[in-house]
Amino acid sequence: MRLFAVVLALVLAPAVPAGAQFGNPAGMAPDTLKKSPGQPMAHQTNYQDRLFAQLVAAGGLAEVRFGELAGKSKNADVKDFARRMIDDHRMANDRLKQLATASKIPLPEGLDDEQEQMRVELEKLTDEAFDLAYISGQIVDHQKTVQLLEWEIDSGQDADIQRFAADTLPVVLEHLRMAGNIKAKLINPQVADASKASKK
Amino acid sequence: MISKLSIAVPCAFVVAAASLSAFSDPLPPDVTYRPLPSQPFSVVKADDEAQKAGVMDRQKKLLDQRYDLTDHPIPGVMMTGGKKAVQGGVRVKLAEGQSWDKLASISPAEIRDRALLPAGFLPLPHVKQATGGQVFPEEEISEISRQEGRDLRRFDVDFDLPDRMTPEFPPPIFLTTHPELGDVSRGQLLTIRNYYEIMNGIITPVQMEGLRLLLTPFPQEEFNQTEDRKVAGQSMGVACLDCHANFNTNAAFHQTPDIRPQAARFRLDTTSLRGLFNQQIHGSKRSLRSVEDFTEFEQRTAYFNGDHVSATRKGVNLPDRTNQVAMMAQMQNIIDFPPAPKLDPFGRLDPSLATAEELKGEAVFMGKGRCSQCHNPQTSFMDNNMHDLKLERFYKPGQTVNDMVELPDGPIKTFTLRGIKDTPPYMHDGRLMTLADTVEFFNLVLGTKLDQSEKDALVAYLLVL
Repeated sequence: MRLFAVVLALVLAPAVPAGAQFGNPAGMAPDTLKKSPGQPMAHQTNYQDRLFAQLVAAGGLAEVRFGELAGKSKNADVKDFARRMIDDHRMANDRLKQLATASKIPLPEGLDDEQEQMRVELEKLTDEAFDLAYISGQIVDHQKTVQLLEWEIDSGQDADIQRFAADTLPVVLEHLRMAGNIKAKLINPQVADASKASKK
Repeated sequence: MISKLSIAVPCAFVVAAASLSAFSDPLPPDVTYRPLPSQPFSVVKADDEAQKAGVMDRQKKLLDQRYDLTDHPIPGVMMTGGKKAVQGGVRVKLAEGQSWDKLASISPAEIRDRALLPAGFLPLPHVKQATGGQVFPEEEISEISRQEGRDLRRFDVDFDLPDRMTPEFPPPIFLTTHPELGDVSRGQLLTIRNYYEIMNGIITPVQMEGLRLLLTPFPQEEFNQTEDRKVAGQSMGVACLDCHANFNTNAAFHQTPDIRPQAARFRLDTTSLRGLFNQQIHGSKRSLRSVEDFTEFEQRTAYFNGDHVSATRKGVNLPDRTNQVAMMAQMQNIIDFPPAPKLDPFGRLDPSLATAEELKGEAVFMGKGRCSQCHNPQTSFMDNNMHDLKLERFYKPGQTVNDMVELPDGPIKTFTLRGIKDTPPYMHDGRLMTLADTVEFFNLVLGTKLDQSEKDALVAYLLVL
């Protein structure tokens, strides 16, 4: 578990000295304060930055909440995955919260309706039915998050939040790949093992 | 376990379906749709102009980090029209202490985990990813300005590759209907001004009308009359042959129309239209089944944005299928490859004309190199299929480079290799500068472990196709 956290910290650290972002000024908010023409000052957000932060923060909270629920799973793969979700998303949530505070973006503090519905359903389920519902939900959630992160990378204008999106994307893609593998294994253990072997 | 699971699966789907229909919010609209500009044109233009130096500098740094773009032509090898030398050597840079043979001996998983894949093998970003759109080389901009007084110059970006790495300009034109004439271009760039003078007496009335339409500018996403444009004056738009110069390519680039969000769209290097008569699928990703479909559709979406919604606002051209599209298609379908005198009717080398090295290259191409499994000589070095090279076996997807996200390419159409020396850069996004680069790329990706003499022979062979 600690190893996961270390790996995530490494991945989340800006590994490549990223060049400055260059957005399309046609999407810049008219009230943007600029440090130089065409370059927004730090923490100058457009609506995409703000909506992104709110949607991803809500998703991150749900990841931790659902991960905690998955503590009841009897499947080792699911439990490991859930632990990693709790660790990785807590860390990402903290970083996003700092950025949002600096840029004065209010973030949601609880689950939204869709997530609450999912939580209620997951609480009712047990054993294999739970594992499959949890992992299936995780796949959809991570797919959506991937698209949101990519959206922010080119549509946002707050460089810190864009960098957060760029740093987080490879980790979320890795989560998505893991969840896909677990689901394949839940549905058909033999085929999943074969595909894992061929990856090596 | 299995019986329990078979009950559980439908159960879970019911849960998912119920929750989706009740509460699911779609992602924000502009993840898929192009937002309307939020500022006046003059403000956007001023900001774009202010950003431009930084944009170009960032792209130059990326290109310099990835490639050797210096002038090293292959001695004695010119493009078909004799206007430009063919550049040689491997231009993708290797890490210090690395060699191509050493790299080829390492497993894909280890190359991925140790981040050893040369950056030049990764998808190449558009010069300004967040904006995207068509970017023309200087030669095209100048010639269209001289002949038509039409402005193809953007205020936010310039073309990023040096002239020596792009096709000769203007390239020759060969017609399937007149092999005996050879190049019919008269050394000129075909435009709406001169096409009739150059082509009357050579092509049919139907082909002439198709050609006229292919040279007629229509509004495009970045070249139009609205405030959402990247050219200073209200623009008349662009024509098909602004990129497919003389039905070949001038290396103008854009982004793939087929993918959203914007950060995930890969760069698209203009493909040559030579040999289109033998091509059964069109578009590197879309696999459209006829050039008629392709031609009609690109007019509908104002050229390569996969977005009929935004295009509609800027003014689209809706060519009539039977009266206009068919004529445009008939013109495109008489564009021949440049002559390849060493090839026989089946696309194989004539041993009495080819050198020993070229013959060795053909043997590698057909055998150990596995090139011909997709680039089949008999069908113009294509297979009319799409293939996924699964390059992501060699790198971790999701890294952002110059605002573009490096993602798996998925299946891409097999392009022809006829006339290949005339159409640098290579691959669908132009990520490789020379034929020697493509040999190293495929040697690694296909795990063919060619030695240096086999690689050299392959390049010699590719030059005569």
